[in-house]
Amino acid sequence: MNIRAIIQKIKKSFSPHEELPNQTVLGFLHVLESVQEEGCSCDEVFTRIDEYVEREVDNRDAEDLMPLIREHLDLCPECCEEYEALLDVLEKTSQEHK
Amino acid sequence: MPTRNNEAWLSDLATPGPAREAALEDLRDVIQKGLPYALSRWLSPDQPQFNSLVEEVTQETLLRVLDQLRTFEGRSQFTTWVHKIAVRIALTELRRKRWRDSSLDELTENEDVPPPPGLLADPQAGPETSAERADMLARVSRIIEEELTDRQRQALILLGVQDMPMEDAARKLKTNRNALYKLLHDARLRLRRRLSMEDIAPYEVLTLFEHK
Repeated sequence: MNIRAIIQKIKKSFSPHEELPNQTVLGFLHVLESVQEEGCSCDEVFTRIDEYVEREVDNRDAEDLMPLIREHLDLCPECCEEYEALLDVLEKTSQEHK
Repeated sequence: MPTRNNEAWLSDLATPGPAREAALEDLRDVIQKGLPYALSRWLSPDQPQFNSLVEEVTQETLLRVLDQLRTFEGRSQFTTWVHKIAVRIALTELRRKRWRDSSLDELTENEDVPPPPGLLADPQAGPETSAERADMLARVSRIIEEELTDRQRQALILLGVQDMPMEDAARKLKTNRNALYKLLHDARLRLRRRLSMEDIAPYEVLTLFEHK
C-alpha cells in the first residue's frame, strides 16, 4: 500500500461517510436541471414503454403525449437502455418486413 | 406463421392444448428474430455465449408471458409487449454479468497503479480556474453531505461509484428498483432546492468544468 492509500485510509476513519468522487458529484449535478417535481416510476415506464416505442417508430408524438416517460428515460440509465434496445428491435424487425 | 392480432394471441395462449403449443412455437420465433437486435449493443452474435443467452432468455420470456398474460392491456401490439419482456430479462442478465466482471477486474488490479487523473488535474486550466473548480466542488460536496440521507448516499455510492446495476443495488438495500429510483429522485429534488437556496445553478458548476 502506498503513502497516498494510507492517508486516504486514515482520512476515511475520521470521516463519517465515504467521500464521493468528483465525477460522481458532477454526474449527479448533470441531471438536476431536467428533474421534474412529478416523476414516474420505473414500473410505470415499463408498463407504458411498448406503447411509447411503437408511437415513436410510427412518428405518433410519443414525447408530446407521454412527457413524463421521456423525462424518466433521460434520468434513468437502465430504463433508457431497455427503451433503446426495444426501439432497435421494432425498427429493425419492421424494416425486415418491408 | 399465421398472422395473429392481439385477441388471437390471447385466446390461443389462454388455455393448454394444441393452439397454445402452436402459438408458443410462433412466439419463440418472434422473440428469437428480435432479440439479436436488442443485444447488438452488448454482444456480437460471434461471441460464444450469444446463442445460449438467446435460448435462456427465450425460455424465460415464454414462461413470463404465460404467467402475466392477464396483465396485457392491449396498448401495443402483443408482440411488442413480448419483446419488452424479453429485453428486460436479457438486459438484467447482461448488466449483472458486466458488473460481476468489472468488479473482478477491479479486484485483480495492481494497487500501485496510479489513479486516473482527476477533474482538478486539467493541464489546460490555469491556477485560477483550478482554484475556482476546487472551491465549487468543495461547496457542492458539503451540500450533498448535509442534504442527502444515509440511504440516499448509500444508493448514490452503489450506483454512481460502484456502477452496480439497479436491480442488484435495490436488493442490497432491501428494496426494489422502483423505490430506489424514487429515493434518488427525492435526493435530486432536495439537492436542487438547496442549491437554489445557495444561489448555485447546476449548469454554472458544469460549465466551470468544461475544458477551456
